[in-house]
Formats: sequence, structure tokens, C-alpha cells
Amino acid sequence: MTAFVVVDHVDQAFRLPNGQSYVALKNINLEIQKGEFVSLLGHSGCGKSTLLNIIAGLAKPVAGGVLLEGRQVTQPGPDRMVVFQNYSLLPWLTVRQNIALAVNKVMRHLPAAERHDIVEQHIDMVKLRHAADKRPGQLSGGMKQRVSIARALSIRPKLLLLDEPFGALDALTRSGLQDQLMQIAQTHELTCVMVTHDVDEALLLSDRIVMLTNGPESYVGQIIDVPFARPRERLNVVNHPNYYALRSEIVYFLNQQKQAKQRKVKQTVAIARNGLEKINLEIGFVPLTDCAPLAVAQEKGLFQKHGLEQVTLSREPSWKAIVEGITSKRLDAAQMVAGMPLALTLGLEGNAPTPIVTGMVLSRNGNAITLSRSLYEAGVRSLADLKGALVNHPHQTHTLGVVHPASMQNLMLRYWLAAADLDPDRDLNLAIIPPPQMVATLKSGNIDGFCAGEPWNSYAVNEKAGYVIATDLDLWMGHPEKMLGIREEWANQYPETHLALVKALLEACEYCDDRRNREEIAELLAKPDYVGAQLDYIRAGFLDPYDRGDGNPPELLLRFNQFHVDMANCPSRVEGLWILTQLARWGITAFPRNWVDVIDRVNRMEVYRAAAQALDLPDTEPNRSSFALFDGTVFNPDDPIAYLNGLPIKREIRVEEVNIDQPAVVVAA
Amino acid sequence: MQTLSNADLRVDPSTGQPPFLVIDNVSKVYPTPTGSYVVLEGISLTVREGEFVCVIGHSGCGKSTLLDMVSGFRQPTEGQVWLESQPITQPGPDRMVVFQNYSLLPWKTAFENIYLGVHSVFPDKSKAEKEAITREHLEMVGLLESAHKKPGQLSGGMKQRVCIARALALRPKVLILDEPFGALDPITREELQEELLKIWAEHQVTVLMITHDIDEALLLSDRLVMMTNGPAATIGEILDIPFPRPRNRSRVMESPLYYELRNHALDFLYRRFAHDDVE
Repeated sequence: MTAFVVVDHVDQAFRLPNGQSYVALKNINLEIQKGEFVSLLGHSGCGKSTLLNIIAGLAKPVAGGVLLEGRQVTQPGPDRMVVFQNYSLLPWLTVRQNIALAVNKVMRHLPAAERHDIVEQHIDMVKLRHAADKRPGQLSGGMKQRVSIARALSIRPKLLLLDEPFGALDALTRSGLQDQLMQIAQTHELTCVMVTHDVDEALLLSDRIVMLTNGPESYVGQIIDVPFARPRERLNVVNHPNYYALRSEIVYFLNQQKQAKQRKVKQTVAIARNGLEKINLEIGFVPLTDCAPLAVAQEKGLFQKHGLEQVTLSREPSWKAIVEGITSKRLDAAQMVAGMPLALTLGLEGNAPTPIVTGMVLSRNGNAITLSRSLYEAGVRSLADLKGALVNHPHQTHTLGVVHPASMQNLMLRYWLAAADLDPDRDLNLAIIPPPQMVATLKSGNIDGFCAGEPWNSYAVNEKAGYVIATDLDLWMGHPEKMLGIREEWANQYPETHLALVKALLEACEYCDDRRNREEIAELLAKPDYVGAQLDYIRAGFLDPYDRGDGNPPELLLRFNQFHVDMANCPSRVEGLWILTQLARWGITAFPRNWVDVIDRVNRMEVYRAAAQALDLPDTEPNRSSFALFDGTVFNPDDPIAYLNGLPIKREIRVEEVNIDQPAVVVAA
Repeated sequence: MQTLSNADLRVDPSTGQPPFLVIDNVSKVYPTPTGSYVVLEGISLTVREGEFVCVIGHSGCGKSTLLDMVSGFRQPTEGQVWLESQPITQPGPDRMVVFQNYSLLPWKTAFENIYLGVHSVFPDKSKAEKEAITREHLEMVGLLESAHKKPGQLSGGMKQRVCIARALALRPKVLILDEPFGALDPITREELQEELLKIWAEHQVTVLMITHDIDEALLLSDRLVMMTNGPAATIGEILDIPFPRPRNRSRVMESPLYYELRNHALDFLYRRFAHDDVE
């Protein structure tokens, strides 16, 4: 079945006075289901109103077209009503007359009494009975907009199109109208498309938010599914564990678009010097204690030492932002969570594969699982206790936050839960929340715990919002945590630069593991350019004994942040394979039948070795042997599929031959 | 000279100075044919010198009326507003107001609009001095190149910059902003917020600003005054916004406290003092 509304390969262009043409929209594809509420979001001039006008039939696209219930839209019609920001009511008619005008025109085949009833019913619908005989000049902005909504709906359109309907109202007056619109849309099962600037409005009202890039040639940059259950209530929506994560994702998209506008002016070109293909690099990191190697390489002049004269460290708000930065080529390289290079290479969550390589591990360990105070008060001290608490409250949904699907935090938290026979998707709910939002979300009671890096666990402990039930040392001592990630294409284009970068960071990692330097590094990390958190929270585990906030005395964990010792920097292939099994176990990616190829391509041992040899550091890879996490289940790298099959809790596992070079071509057999 | 009677006006022991701006138990009542209508009732607020205070509340809560009594456009029915121990009885150049609708003279250039204000407040300064002040403030808002343009040739954001420049050129002690960015698109609004933060830090002026935008208030202010709904509106709660300065939008937004404060304000405005737009 085709969708209710189909926007099919729409281009729109306008002729400019100088004879050239301005392409506003390029190749817009969008399907809208019946009863769906879709918002179009983007900056001024991104063409969102243009798109709405095309759906309304008020403008014709230069290419492509729009179908409504399978029929092409060629002109405006009463089945698609538009509500504009400026109300467009007739000023000499009363509220009742304005609505009646539309009803009498479109429904002239109905008897007068019936038309009268429809008008009255719609006056009530927007609660304007007391003002039915007033003219627009006597109404507030909010009331005027209610009249135009009533008028639009009175003729029973199939599709309600709203062009920034509340843009002229102040943010607080807007809220009442949003609530009313939401109610009406729900009761009447309306299909709505709304253009808006307002992120909170879009999140409250929509099932999907379609974000357009900046013009010219705007296209659909990203679509966000809004998962809040209906009927919705403003404050409940705001308290959904994902609310601020989604909100920051949208704000981030809009900011990227804003910056892209400015960036277009100063396109960066590769500067070759010092025998390197490119010495000007933009490297992304997320403000966490284990960004230390990047901070040290920058502040101690190690990039410089290896010829990378112009390195800018770009502080990113989330791991999603890192993915965006790398795939959009805004970033040359980035700190990545350990599952990210493989997951992006395979195609994360249905996205097109982006081949990524990693020449080194930047850090190991450094995470913890924090639970809320209320679970502490309920006596939860161990994984078994947690299971008991969940079993005792089967009707209560417990939500835990993780930072990214491909993060070790997600993979290890899931492993930990499953080891106690808890299904992380069925017995609980896991939400993706950027690290900086974890503590606030925990404090507000919207999640019951999280698995994240520092300083966020220590922050929660110090704020008395939670306690650490386990560190990752309890789960898998020495697991890879952060990797250096680079697009494969980039690594092939700039091989000497890649090597220089790995050398600089290897030296930085060595520096970080010399405990005499930790004091200095902790102070460096506390600066706003890096983590920007209270020094105490950074010191915990990194330098000082680690306080779990569970009443036990703080404990010195020498390996909590491991940057170099014990072959820490080697991008071991066996560990990569374990990550592949877990990504497949939870349905995050398929399991590649050609896993040997895939791992060889991602984990660039030759780069690591060359860099280590040049620095006179050991370059061996750990033995290719079986190992086990805390629960004792043996992982045998020679038979990952048997291992996967033997895991009792898992999603449906897809085992596929993955051809990284031809991702788009899938030929049906 | 009136005597200071209220306890609020006593010397602040921490500074050794009397408080800077005191709104002392102020009420505003309008007579109507059907009896008196109380807009504001018993508002008390003390503002430190150099503080940035935002006022938020639903429409009709009397925020503008309150600020009008600071600017001197209106007088309280009861109570009194004091600036540096002087009662406020009329408008004056020590308290400049910027409105949402710009209020520039359309036939004068940006330069002339500012110059006019400078001239009327500093009539004894030389022409060269007055021109220098005008230019300095146009430069402060990045509009030196548009000095010769008339309001009709300026975008909304640029017009509002001229208004801020005009207000600050008179070296006011208090800058009063009545929803200054409400009519601007989100990007321009964000740019102006950031510019305002910079200007505020450089000029060390005391700011009272009305807004409907919680995020704007959290970014800019030291304290957020949340008003209850009218009639007889009063201060429902004052939120301290302790983010370190200088502030940067993304830094502020990554603080866990940001979400706590935002949710608290949302709860105040949409649950505890929800407002129906049914006039």
C-alpha cells in the first residue's frame, strides 16, 4: 500500500532577477501515513514553507510531484487546508461568519441547518463560544489563530497544513494552543504537516520530525521519530528519559546547519608540510576523563613534535555528534567508543556503511554502572539484588541510560544484565542519553541508572543522586574503551599523516599512564576546553581512591583509567571480534560471515606497529586466545558463531557476507 | 527628599552600600467601572548593581507594568521603587528601555537615531564628543558600516542592535529590556543573546529583562523571577541561575543543572501556574 501523502523526488527552483535560477529544494522524498503528525524543521530560508506550499498545491515543483491518496496534487483544494502564521481572517466578519464563509462555500450541497451545525460545532471545538460574534480586531493573537484552525477544520480536510501557526505568539501563549491542536488532531485523527522553528513544539506535537538542511538545494538531512506515547501531556513529555537527548540532537542539527553556512565561506584545504600530506587537523572528542591522551598531545606539544602543526580539538556534545562529524567529513579524526569503528563500517542501525579504520586504542576501562538512590534504599547492592527488585515490581518499567548503541557502555551493561538472566530490552528499557545529560536525567527520576564514563558516575555519587554498583573492572578488566577513528578513505589519502597522528597519541598515552603526571593532567582536564568539570570528580579513580557512594570506603583502582601499560594501545583483533558478536547479539549490526576481512580492514595493525616501532615501544599483539568476562562464559575467537548461538538472551542474529565496497547494490535472488 | 523607611533599604553589610535597586512592596491597582482591578500585589525585589535579572510569566501577569514602574513610565499605587536610595518618580536617562518593536525614528539613520539620544542627554558635550560616543556604540554592536542606513534598510536584528546601542550610549545605570528578541527568528535571536551577554559584561550595566523564553533566561540571567498569573500577580518564585561566567550556550546546555532548572521553570509555568488563553 502506498502512503497517504507521497512527496516524490521534488525539486523547486525560482528564477532570479539576474536570469539565473535559485534551487530551493533538491530531491525531497517523504511519505506521510494517514493520521500522522509530521513537523518540518529547519532554519529560515531552508525551503520548509516552499515544501508545504507544494503539498498544498499552492506552488508547482519544477521536478517530481506530490500524491495524496494516490492522486497527483496539481492545485489547491479543500481537502488540504492551510493555516498561516498571520491568521488571514476577513476583518469585517465575525468569528462565526469567517467560519461560515468556508463551510457555505465548500459544503453548499448540504442543507442550511446542517451547515449551521457544523459552524457551531467548530466554534465549540476551539472554545470560542463566548467570542463567536466578535470581529478579528477584538481578539487576541491566540484567539485569532484558533478561528483559523476552526475554519480550516470545518470543511473536513484530509490534510491539515500549518505554516508556523504559532510563530507570532509568545512562547507561553503558544503552549495553550499547542495543547488544543494536539487534542483536536488526536480526537479527529487528523493528518498534519506543520512547519515550525520551535524544537519543543515539534517534539510535543509530532510523530516524526523532518529536518531540512540549509538552502540552496535543501534536502531532508535527518528524520527523527518521536517515541512518546499518546495522549501526550506537556510535562510528561519533558520528563521522558529521551526528551532532552532528542532535543539536543535537533538543536545540534540546527547548529551544525548554522555553522555550515559560515563554514562554506572558509573551506579548509589540506596543508602539506614536514613530509606529511596534511598538518591541519580537526579532531573530535567528547568531554570525559578519558579524553586525556588528546588533551595531553595538544597541551604538551606532541602533535607539533610529530609535524602536525595545526591541530584543533573539537569538543562534541555526544557520540552521535562524533558520528556526524566523521561521516560529514567535518572532522579528520575522532575519539570513538570502541564499537564505533566496526559498527560504522558495517552500517549502524540501517545507515549506509562508512568504512572506518582505527590505528590504536586510546584508553581502556574507565566506566561504571550507577544506579539511583531509590534502588539503593530498596537494598540493591548486587546484580542479583537488582534482578530481585525488577522481579518484585513487574509493572514498573525501569530505564537505564547508555551513551551510544556502539559504546562499550551499552554492550557491557547488556552483557551484565543478561548474565543475570535479565533481558535488557524486555525486562528493562535502555535509553540513549548523551553523557552530560545522565546525571540530570537520573536526578529527575526519569531513569533509574546508567552506564557511562567519568566524571559522570562520580558526579552522581557526589550529588547523592546515585551509587556505583559495579565498575567495568568488575566486568572485564582491561577492555578496550576508546579508539582513534578515521574514515578509511582519509587514511588512504593521508597515510603519513595518519602514522604521525598515531605516534603523537601513543606518546601521549604513555605520558598519561605515568602516575607522576596524573596530577597535572587532572588539572588540565578540569579546564573548560576539555572536560570542564569539578576537579574532584575528575580525580576520582583517575588519581584518587574511587568512591562508589555505597557506604564502603573509597578504593584505589590503579587500572581504572588505563592508557598505555600492558599493550593497552594495540587494536587487538580478538577484542574486535568480541565486539562484533555483541553488536550482532543485540541487533545493532549484522554479524559478518567474512569477519576476518572486516576486522583486518578496520583494525589497522600495520599502522599501530609502524608507529610503535618508530617510538621504540613494544609492538606485539596480545595472543589470539580464548577469554572470559566476569561470568566465566568462554569466548573462543575461532568459533564466534557457536559462541553467539550459545548465548541464551539475544535478538535475532543476522549472519551475512558484508561487502563493504558495494554497500548500496543489493540484488534480490 | 523622602526618608527611607523600609528594612530593605538599610545598608547591605556585605558591601557597606545601600542596596542598588529596590522594588519595595509595590502594588498597582486600576480603577474600573466595576471596581478596582489589581494588576500587581505586594512585589518586593532587591537587585544588586551589575546583576542580570530576567522576569518571566504568562501574558497579562503584569511583567511590563512592573518594569514600567522601574523605568518611571508608571507609578505604583502602593509601595515605592528606589534606585540608589532615590525614589523613582519619572523616566530618566539613568534607566533606558528597549522594546520589542524597536521604536526608532524611521526617517533618521542609525547614526542619527543614536546621536539624537546622546545629544538630548549630554547637551553640553562638544559635537565631536557626541559623535565619538555614537560611533563607539555603533561599533559595539557591529554596525559601524550601516551607520548611514535608515531603519527601513535594516533587518530586525540590526534594528534591535541600534536600539541597544542607543540605550547604552546614554550610560544608563539600569537597562530595561521588554522582550527585546521576541520578534526575531531563532538564529538572529541567539546571535543577539550572545552579543548582549558580551556587552553586559563589558559595560557592567544592571539589566532587567522580560522574556517568555526559558532558555533565553537560563543563558542570560543571574536570577529568574517567575511571576504568578494576574489579577493580583506577584512573584511566585525566584530561581538562582549559578552557571559560571563568561557563559557559552553549549557549555550551559551541557550542565546537568540546566535541565533541572529548565524542568523546574516548566513545572512552575505549565503546572503550578498554568494559564489558559481564554479571554
